[in-house]
Formats: sequence, structure tokens, C-alpha cells
Amino acid sequence: MRAQLMWRTLPSLVLGLLFLSTPVMGSCLDKDQELLRQLQKQADIMQRTSMLLNPYIQSQGLDKDGLKEHCRERPGTFPSKEALQRLSRQEFLRALDTMLDHVLHRLKALQRDIPKAQDLETLNRAKQNIRGFKNNIHCLAQLLPGSSETTEPAPIGPGTSPSPTPTPDTFQRRLEGCRFLHGYHRFMHSVGQVFREWAESPSRSRRHSPRRGLRKGTRRVPLSRNKRLLPRVQLPW
Amino acid sequence: MALSSVSQTAFLLALLSLRTYQSEVLSEPLPSAPEFLKVSVNSTCQCLHLQWTVHNLSHHQEFRMVFQIEISRIKTSNVIWVENYTTTVKWNQVLHWSWESKLPLECAKHFIRMRSAVDTAKTPGPRVWSSWSSWEEADVQNSLGQDPLFVFPKDKLVEEGSNVTICYVSKSHQNNISCYLEGVRMQGEQLDPNVSVFNLNHVAFIRETGTNIYCKPGQGDRIKGTVLFVSKVLKEPKDFSCETQDLTTLNCTWDPGSDTGLLKQLSQSYALFESFSGKKTLCKHKSWCLWQVAPESQDMYNFTLTAENYLRKRSVHLLFNLTHRVHPMAPFNVLFKNVSATNATMTWKVHSIGKYHTLLCQVELYGEGKVTQHNVSVKVDGAHLFSGLEPDMEYMAQVRCANGDHFWKWSEWTQQNFTTAEAAPSEAPDVWRNVKTVQGRCVVTLFWKPLSKLQAHGKILFYNIVVDYLDRTSVSELLSIPAPANGTELPLSQCSSQIRIMANNSVGTSPASVIVVSREPGNEEVEEERVKGTEDGFPLSWKPQPRHVTGYLVEWCEHPQDPPCDLQWKNLGPNVTSTVVSSDAFRPGVRYNFRIYGISTERVPYLLARKTGYSQELAPSDNPQVVMTNLTSHSFTLSWKNYSTESQPSFIQGYHIYLKSKAGWCHSGSEKAVLSDDAAVCCKYKIDNPEQKTFVVENLQPESFYEFLVTPYTSVGEGPHDAFAKVTTPDEYSPTLIRIILPMVFCILLIMITCYLKSQWMKEKCYPDIPDPYKSSVLSLIKSKENPHLTIMNIKDCVPDSIEVLNKQEGTRKSLTETESTKPTYLYLLPTEKRYSSPGPCICFENFTYNQAASDSASCGHVPAPPKAPPSQLGLLTSPENLLKALEKNYMNSLGEIPAGETSLNYVSQLASPMSGDKSNLPINPPEPALCSEYKMQMAIPLGLASPPSSGSSSLSSVTLLDEGEHYH
Repeated sequence: MRAQLMWRTLPSLVLGLLFLSTPVMGSCLDKDQELLRQLQKQADIMQRTSMLLNPYIQSQGLDKDGLKEHCRERPGTFPSKEALQRLSRQEFLRALDTMLDHVLHRLKALQRDIPKAQDLETLNRAKQNIRGFKNNIHCLAQLLPGSSETTEPAPIGPGTSPSPTPTPDTFQRRLEGCRFLHGYHRFMHSVGQVFREWAESPSRSRRHSPRRGLRKGTRRVPLSRNKRLLPRVQLPW
Repeated sequence: MALSSVSQTAFLLALLSLRTYQSEVLSEPLPSAPEFLKVSVNSTCQCLHLQWTVHNLSHHQEFRMVFQIEISRIKTSNVIWVENYTTTVKWNQVLHWSWESKLPLECAKHFIRMRSAVDTAKTPGPRVWSSWSSWEEADVQNSLGQDPLFVFPKDKLVEEGSNVTICYVSKSHQNNISCYLEGVRMQGEQLDPNVSVFNLNHVAFIRETGTNIYCKPGQGDRIKGTVLFVSKVLKEPKDFSCETQDLTTLNCTWDPGSDTGLLKQLSQSYALFESFSGKKTLCKHKSWCLWQVAPESQDMYNFTLTAENYLRKRSVHLLFNLTHRVHPMAPFNVLFKNVSATNATMTWKVHSIGKYHTLLCQVELYGEGKVTQHNVSVKVDGAHLFSGLEPDMEYMAQVRCANGDHFWKWSEWTQQNFTTAEAAPSEAPDVWRNVKTVQGRCVVTLFWKPLSKLQAHGKILFYNIVVDYLDRTSVSELLSIPAPANGTELPLSQCSSQIRIMANNSVGTSPASVIVVSREPGNEEVEEERVKGTEDGFPLSWKPQPRHVTGYLVEWCEHPQDPPCDLQWKNLGPNVTSTVVSSDAFRPGVRYNFRIYGISTERVPYLLARKTGYSQELAPSDNPQVVMTNLTSHSFTLSWKNYSTESQPSFIQGYHIYLKSKAGWCHSGSEKAVLSDDAAVCCKYKIDNPEQKTFVVENLQPESFYEFLVTPYTSVGEGPHDAFAKVTTPDEYSPTLIRIILPMVFCILLIMITCYLKSQWMKEKCYPDIPDPYKSSVLSLIKSKENPHLTIMNIKDCVPDSIEVLNKQEGTRKSLTETESTKPTYLYLLPTEKRYSSPGPCICFENFTYNQAASDSASCGHVPAPPKAPPSQLGLLTSPENLLKALEKNYMNSLGEIPAGETSLNYVSQLASPMSGDKSNLPINPPEPALCSEYKMQMAIPLGLASPPSSGSSSLSSVTLLDEGEHYH
């Protein structure tokens, strides 16, 4: 009876060890895909105007006819989708990281014009999302080839630098903030689309979508590093 | 002449004095015109700021001077402001002056000039002004920048209800510029071709982030605007008050009102200033502030609370003596000592407020549904004795204290519960009984109500019941019923007994409740009266009893329709002759029966009155189940014997019988009625006696259709008008005809049967088909005449020409199927030399009794050939004797071969013969073969349908009617 029990439990034990060994042996490709999906989802959420723009418009009283029409992104504040698509993956991720730094900086400035605690909470939640997104970008960038030697800023064309110092006039600052947020959501929409293209065309040989690069990066990145980076992903939901 | 000399002298004196004064003034140096150093514009406060100096002042010279300042707008001639500014001027001093413009300074050029004069307020006379300075221009528009459109003022902070002027400056010479306030277009006035002004009166607070005002030209997407921050008006703090709990810290509180915080303005701040000590503290909270009491025992405090924001400052003052504002902390350590059934001592401690102060404490006791209050003076520890408490009662006591010397406020309450000890029950239980006789023995069912908490004085554990038999022949009985029983059934040895019931708790026994059971059954013949219930209950009254009673008792069942009727009773005093019985359990439409007893001095109850009634009568919900009987063409009877009038939702006063007919008219005894349900017209019969439960509906038309309904009626209405029963009266003559025709038919049938039986008897007696010589009465008659020559003919003497074979067997009957398989019996009656294989001259019998197929053939030739008989046998038949022998043999064989069942049917053999005549003329010669005799088919004839042969056909056929059970072949 005891021997029977051992013979029954032994195969299941072996199978269990095999399953356990799968993550230990590490398929970074799966992790990459998961990371990419994660970034896509995050970009989808961050592009929603209900996350930032709409509460801002509401709190600043910009939801009036004749005024909300002027709450449009100014050309050049953020790179266009086409400009993003022209970038290589490394350049794209770097540009994205830089832009999000600018966004964080600008959100900090906007925070001064938001007196209500509820709106401030919305703003802080958005900032946390951006930080989590940046972490994921960092993780993904580690999987790309040549990630360690490239540090210079990405050439992202006309939208390289966001708008300069805000005007001291509250009204103009308010309007600029609104435009900036509108551009931010549009920008995240474009980012989401680029990530989606990455996921949909893994074998495309275009400059910015080399699936191969990811695979190479997967091999190059040490397993322990990959494991260490993943928990840093902050999910906003 | 004298007058003219006087006037000349006065004029000279006046002139002299004027000269003297002028010489004094002119002796000081006159100031020159002020010299502007700087004219600046502060856009934030829309202020013009001037800086100037006054030359021509000597060292150490100090003058009080007046500066007259003129401000013009757009052009110098358009002076909008003139103000005299007085100040003391020293040598080489730079003077400052500001002016706040209602119009944003960016909206128009402003010009400023001033002149000065020595302030001569102390001396009468006109001021000697210096000359005007040159016009200084304040033009901000030049420094605006290159934008085509500007809106001013920028980010202005105003209070709610203020008047604000907005303007725009256009540099593109566009005239179709529109300006909006929160999306609503504003109407302005043009100040110059490039500037328009909008006056906003009584601006309102919209949001903390300010009010958006913006302008945009008709073409292009340029938009410029400004934010007007409208603050709520800062109000004075309300309910400012300070108090101390321990004489070391003051807690000052106030109602701050609405928050005036904006995006551009912090919320108002509060500061506390005490004037006697000169100390000030900024409050961290919006509605309260702590102040440390000075250790040097300062008694009086004069506080000023100041609320301040960017626009306004508000202050309130409070002056008080510290010892008059003591709000002690709540007492603590509340305990109860020496708690008995009726007393308890409460103790507590208080926080000290100084050894010179006495606290006044208030003690409240909640219990028994009431509150008692006591005041106690306390230094450190307090104590109070509660007396007159109820045993086994839970009480809640609470205490609070205040400064006894100068009352300010009570402290918070401190509460504590306690329960008094138990005591013996104070009241006897309320007991009632129900007496019945079971198998000749009295059985008493006792009911008692549980004692209230105030009566029980503790948890009732059991009830003691003592039965004392009044005739003293039996020993008293003692029972103990555990609580929480509220009754028991008690079989008594003898009816006359006294029963005592006592409730017991852990401390003692209650007084006894006494019930006496009498041998006499009591007055059960009391007539029942009706009582009408009201919203308050059933008002019951009875006649006062001539003999002495100790009280009255009313009993009733709260649920009379349920088997355990929940007996209730109510004890009343001896002087009471009426009461109102009320209960939440009383329901409309339920009949309640009340019995009123008088309790004699011997504690024997006797029935005084019976009442019955409804708390509210309801219309009957059901109609009786009606049975219709005795239906005739003119009447029928309705009966509803099973309908109980007692269990109805109201008192039944009678019945209404509704009859619907096509005739539409009503006979006497009924009246026309229109039913409210379907507006149908019908006849209504009325029965006034509720116990009359039959009714005969008469005067109906034969062969007519009627509908009827029996419904009870009460004081609140009738039963439902539904489910009319239907009936059709029968034909008027049908019963008569049935009464006549049926006996007639019966008689005829009887006669026919009698005749038939008689004819059979006659036939059997007089002319049977085969007479039995031994039974023939004719022969017996002959015998009686003693004619010895007459004898019975022997068969041997007869020459047969036809043979009828009789197979008589009794007691058996062959089934039909069995007879079908029977082979026909053939008898060759005539001698023949050879056998005929084909149809030819022959005489044969064929038994077709059960062969229908064969019987259909009309010729004997179609009959299958009979079985061959041995020649010897045929030869023997040629002689009569042989023939008879053969017949006998064959007869015997037939008997032996034919199953017994075959003999159960009769058939008639028909022989078609050219000869006719009686049987005595038997043909000697056999018939010619050529003349083949023809046999008609044989038919089975049922016994009952066989009829005697007619005389006319007797020559052609012979029919034998046999008795039942006899069978012949």
C-alpha cells in the first residue's frame, strides 16, 4: 500500500518539479511579451482623458464653450506618432523615457494650480502611473541589444523639448496646462499604438520593430537581472 | 467829520496789521515746486507709486506741507483724481504716495502732476501754492510686448460682491473682439479705438481656482484672458469662548465660518492676543486654540481673536475671570457599594480644580421608567445613597459636576449600571380557572399570569399549588409547577375544593391567590347578549349584584377560532359594573364571547352574563352551500342546513334569495332588485330568521331557465353576488305521462309473459310435438275407461318413412365451437345395391345445424359424400327389423360419438315430400331415385324464439319445441 502510494506520487512530483523548473530555466521571451502587453495596457490607460485632462478642465473652469476648444495640443510639444514610428526601439524607449520625465516635471508645476485634495489625488495617481510605466520601459530597454552603451537622448524631431517655462499669467498657464495634458494623452495613445505594432509584427525587419533584437537581448540579459527588474513594475490597477 | 476821521484811522490800522503779517510769512523761504523722482506702476495692485522731493529746504528745517496731486487719464485735461496729501517734510527727504486705480493702469495712459504749500491749518488764510510740477506720464501699454491682445487686470484678487473693471488692449486694430465671463459674453464700452472696458458689479464666488475671463477676436484662434480670484468675505469668528478644565490650560473655541481660501490666497489665519499679559499666539487650528494659563495666578483675561486673510482682518474680544470659566472633567471611578434589595450607595471621584474650589455634582438615577435627580457637593470624592429602590431592578446612575462657586458648565456624564438584590414576590399571581367534568370527576385547568418585574422581585422559579378539599374528607394536595409555566390541569378528587397558588423565587414565596371550585355547576342558562365593539374595545356592563361580591371577572378567548383559544381574564373591583375589554389581538370579523362572573365572598365564581360581539363586523365573504331539491315544473326547494351562523364575520340577520329569470317579473313575496355587480334585474326573497335555512321557490314557469343565489345579509352588507346556480324547470306533463306509461308497459309485459307461459303449458299438455304416451292425459283418460284393447303402439309395428333421431341428454350443453367440428350424421334409410358417388336418387339426412356454408347450398348433391358404410350393414337395412336394429345401433353409436355438448341445440329436419297426409299413411315404397328428395337446410332456432308450428305448414315441416335443457337430434 505504501509502495503504491509512492509510485503514484513520484510522477506527479517529477511533473511538479518540471513545472517549477520552467521559470527557473527562464524563457525571457515570455517575459518580454508580458512586459510588452503590460506596457500596452498601461499606455491604453494613460491615454484616457479621464485620468488627467478631464479633471483638470473641470477644476480650472475650462469646460465652457469658446474656451474648451482652445484646449488642444500645441504642435511640437510632443512627438507625433510618425516620428515615434521612425525611431528604433532603443531610440523610442529612450525618447519615451525622456518625454515622461518632462511630463512628470510639468505635472509637478501643475500641482500648484490645483487646490482641491481630490484633484491632487488624481494628479498623484497619474504620476505614479508614469513612474511605473518608466520602470517597465527600463525593464524592456534592458532586453534590447546595446542597451548599456546608448545613453544620448533620442532624436525625436520637432517635439524634442516640451514647452518652455510656463507664463506667469494664471490664465495662460492654465490654458497651457490644459493643452499640455491634451498632448500627453495623445502622445500616450501613439505610444500604445507603437507598442501594439511591436507585438503584432514581431518578425518585421523595420528599423524600429526588430523582434530579433528582443530575442538577442533576452539571451544577453542575465536571468537574475531579469528577475530582479520585473518586480519593479508598478501596475496602476 | 469825526466819523470820517475814525474810519480813516481804522483803515490805516488794518493796512498796518496786514503788512506786519506779510512780513512775518515772507520771512520764511517759500518751497519750490516738488520734483518727481519716479512714477511707477504696480500692476498687481493697480497702483501708481510716486516718489518726489522738495527742494529749497534748508538744513534742520522741517515743514508740514500739503501736496496737491492731480491725476488725469488718457489726456492731461481729463483730470480724474485730485487729492491733498499732507505730511511733514524734512530736508532732502524723498516722499512717497500711492494711488490705486479702479481701471487697470495698462488700459490707459495716466498723467500726474502736483504742487505744494506750507500747511497753514493753524493760521487762517489762503495757502500759498507753489507752481505745478510738469505732467508725468504713466504709460504701461508701451511695455506690454508684441502680443496683439491683452486682458487686464491679471490675477486680481477681490472679495465677493466687489465691483471690478476689466479691459482689453488690442494692438491689431480689430474691432470685433468678444469678451466672456465664464462663457457668457460681456458688454463693455470703448475707451479708445484699441481699448474696451467692462464693468463687473457684485462679482460672485464661483470656484476656488478663480473666474475665467477671456477675450478673442472674431477671426483666428488667439485667445487671451485673465483669472479673477473672487474670495468669500471673511466674517467675524462666532461663538468665541474660552474655558479651562484644570486651571492650567485655557481652551478657546470659535466658529470660523466659511473658508476664504483660494488658489491665490491661503485660508484665513487666526491669532489670539491677551492684552493684560501682552502675549500673542498664532493658532494652528481653524476653530480652536490652546492658551497656557500664567503661573502667577492671573485671574482676568482679555482675549482678542483675530481672523485675517489677504484682503481683510476681523477681530472679536472676550474678557473673563478664569475661575468663572471652569468646565470640570467628567467624574471617574464610579462604584456602587452596599447594594441591597432597596438601597445602594454610589461613590465617585473628581479631578481637583484647586483646594479652594468646591464642585457641585448632579446624580441621576434611571429605573422603573422614571428619573430621579440629586445634587451633591464634592471636594474630592463624592457619595450618594439611593433608597426606596425596587428589588431585582436594574438601574442606571450617572453623575456630572460643575464648579460649585461659579457655575459655568457641567462636565460630561459618567454612567454606571447596577442591579438591586432579589426579594420575595410582593403580589399573588393573578389566577383563573376552567372547570370541566371528565368521567364524573372534576378537572380544573388553572391559568395564571406571570408576575410583573415589579411584583416578582426576582426570577420566579416555580409555582406552588395547594388543593384543600372543603369537605375535609380528603387530604390536601401540594403541587409544584416549575416556571415559566402559566397554567396546569388538575384532576380533583372532589369538586368542592379551595385552591391556593403561590409564586416562588430564590428568596421567598408570594401571597397566595385563592380559587374555590364549587360542586354546583353554576348558572349556565344566562342568555347571551350582543355587544358592539368599538375602536377602544368591547364595552361591557352588567347589573350590580344584590348579594355581596368581592369582585367581578370577565373572561374571553383572544383566538376563538383556534383550538387553544388563549383564555384571557380581567379582574374588576366589587363596585365596578362596566368595563372596556381591549386587546391588540382583537381582529375585525371575529366573534368574541365574553363571560362575566361575580366572585362571591367565599371566592366562588358564578356566571352573571354572557356577551358576544365583533370588534368590527365585516360583510360575509362566502355564501351558503345550497342544495336544491324537489324540482318541479313550478317550484324547487333550496336548503343550506350546513351553514353555520356562528362562525361568520358578522351577525347574520337573515338571507336574501335572488332569482333571475327571463320573465322579468316577480311574484308576491319577492321584490325586484338590481344587482350592483352586473346590473342584472332579479327577484329578491327575504328571510328574516337566520336559523331558517330552507326555502321553496314557487310560481315558476315550466321548461324555464332560472338562476338563483342564496346570500346572507348582515348589518354591514350581504355576501358576494357571484356563483348563481342554474336550474331549468321540467315539462309540466312529463311526470304524469311517466306515471301512466310505465305501469302500463309493465302490465303488458307481464300479460305477455303470462300468456306465453300459459300457451306453452297448454301445448305441452294438449298437443305436444311428440306426445309421450305415458304422460298423455288422453291415454290416461282412455285407461280410465278401461279399454284393454287399446294399448300403446309398438314401434316395431311401424314402418318408418322418416326417422327423427332424438338424442336426449340432460345436464350438458355443447359450446358453439365444439358443435361446428361435429361431423354430420347420415342415415341411409332405403336399401340400395350400390353406392352413389355422385348426386343421384338418394335420401339422406344431413346435419347442417352448425355448418352455415353448407346450408347455403340448396342441393343435396353438393353435399360431400357420406362415409362409406359396410355393405352388410346396408343390406340389413332393407328389412324393417334390420332397419330398426340398425337404427338402434346407429342411435347408440350416435350417442356414443356425439359429444355431449352437441345435444344442447335443437334443430328441425325438414323433408320435402311430394306426399302429404298424416303420418299413418307412410309410403311403403321408397322414393324413386330420380325423384331425389330435397332437404331444406337446418337452422338453429333459439329456444325462446321457437314458435309453435302453424297448421298450414305442418305438412312441410315439423318443428319440435323442447324443454330447456333437453336436446334432440
